[in-house]
Amino acid sequence: MIRNFFIYLLILVVGAAFFTAMVLFAIPALEESAIVLPAMTEVPVAGSGNDADRKSIQQDIDKLQAKLDKYIPIQPYIVINTSDNHFYLYKDRLLVRDGMCSTGKNEKLVSAESKKEYTFHTPQGVRKVQRKQPNPVWAKPNWAFVEEGLPIPPPGDASRFESGTLGAYKLEIGDGFMIHGTIYKRFMGLSVTHGCVRLGDDDLEVVYNTLVIGSKVYIY
Amino acid sequence: MKENSADDFDSLFVKKRYGLKIFLIVFCLAVLSLTGVYAYLSIGAVRDRMQLAKTQAEGSVVDASLIDLMKEKAWVESRLKMAAGDSIGLSIDLEQHTIQMELKGLVVMKSKIQDCSTSGFFKRMDGNVYFTMFGTPMTILRYVSSIEKNPFKVIHAPKTKTAAEIKAEENAPLTASKTPVPKDSLPKENVFWTMKLDRDIDLNIQGIDSLAISQSKYKFGKGIEFKRDLNNIVKSIPRILKLQKPNYTPEILISIPENDAKAILRALPKKPLVTIRI
Repeated sequence: MIRNFFIYLLILVVGAAFFTAMVLFAIPALEESAIVLPAMTEVPVAGSGNDADRKSIQQDIDKLQAKLDKYIPIQPYIVINTSDNHFYLYKDRLLVRDGMCSTGKNEKLVSAESKKEYTFHTPQGVRKVQRKQPNPVWAKPNWAFVEEGLPIPPPGDASRFESGTLGAYKLEIGDGFMIHGTIYKRFMGLSVTHGCVRLGDDDLEVVYNTLVIGSKVYIY
Repeated sequence: MKENSADDFDSLFVKKRYGLKIFLIVFCLAVLSLTGVYAYLSIGAVRDRMQLAKTQAEGSVVDASLIDLMKEKAWVESRLKMAAGDSIGLSIDLEQHTIQMELKGLVVMKSKIQDCSTSGFFKRMDGNVYFTMFGTPMTILRYVSSIEKNPFKVIHAPKTKTAAEIKAEENAPLTASKTPVPKDSLPKENVFWTMKLDRDIDLNIQGIDSLAISQSKYKFGKGIEFKRDLNNIVKSIPRILKLQKPNYTPEILISIPENDAKAILRALPKKPLVTIRI
């Protein structure tokens, strides 16, 4: 009786294993196989293409490629990878420097009283260097006070201005975002900023001296 | 009485053996026919999809000797169309084994494809079907990913301090900052995602540090391939039980380094364009 039970059970298990193996491996393999899938073209046409056709298509490709190449800026440009916190600086379409940077920390700050939200992340897309400035003074925005639980001072108040925080240079890239230096060097390479791109001192100097007003900043 | 009992016992034994044989035959036939029906309907679904693609493909028959050049032209043309937009696009070249992100025509990131597999459907395509599917950029309709695409942390600001509290803090002796250095990125995890393209193609991308890891992920049922196959089977069974053909979607699976996979997933906008060359 017990022996029969085990025989039945064994048959069931072997059957189920066979079906599973077929469904998981054999049938998907068959679905990919040329044995069961016919080619979509019943009558392959080959050899009718002459050199003129070939030349004409090649010319089209060259024209299209030239158009595509025009999208690569002639001016120096910078590419910023916000995922790896890495930058790549190009001049004459050649990589001249790359290194660590810090980008947005992907946080939403909700103020305790006003329930106002501030989003801290580096926006992706293409921007342009709009303004360059050495020895910048940081005009602290409202979130800098909210973050520390301090009362927000009126615009133009002396407590809003801080020297040295942005490092030796800043490059404004629009909407309040900047490429600048930092005093928090231990955070370099991490996603810790409020949206700006922070660079180390040496890298910042090279970037500042290489990029010009109008240079493109590619952020992804 | 004694003899009768012995006969009864023997006959019972014979009946039982006979019953086992019948069960074995019926069960084997049932498993084989179920497998056969499953295979027939699954392959039928692929054939139907091929037929549909062929019907949708228009134009004159493409000369097979020019097909490589025409693929090259379609590839450049498609990337040019993508460059006209101002969002990040993805271009995948399975011939050169590269995947790249492009922003306004500039390749901002390029990664080597370490492994890739495509459905048999793509291997049996003719020129017309190829250009109908890959001649222009495709749009990603939706993502399903193993990690969060845009992880945002919500922080509540502290209550505004009073003037007295601020003064007290200013007068307090300076102590070393106890702010911990945040750890980089996310812990090690399987990174993979599926993108549904508008031409009814599934594009699967998985992050791997080596091919061996990718294969072991499949073995242990953690990888994308296993989950995808299992998901397909679960979806197919109800239709097969009704003797209907399951839905078939041709797929492309690409394995790239994990960091690149993460960077691409997080950089792509909601509905980006994708250009593929096979």
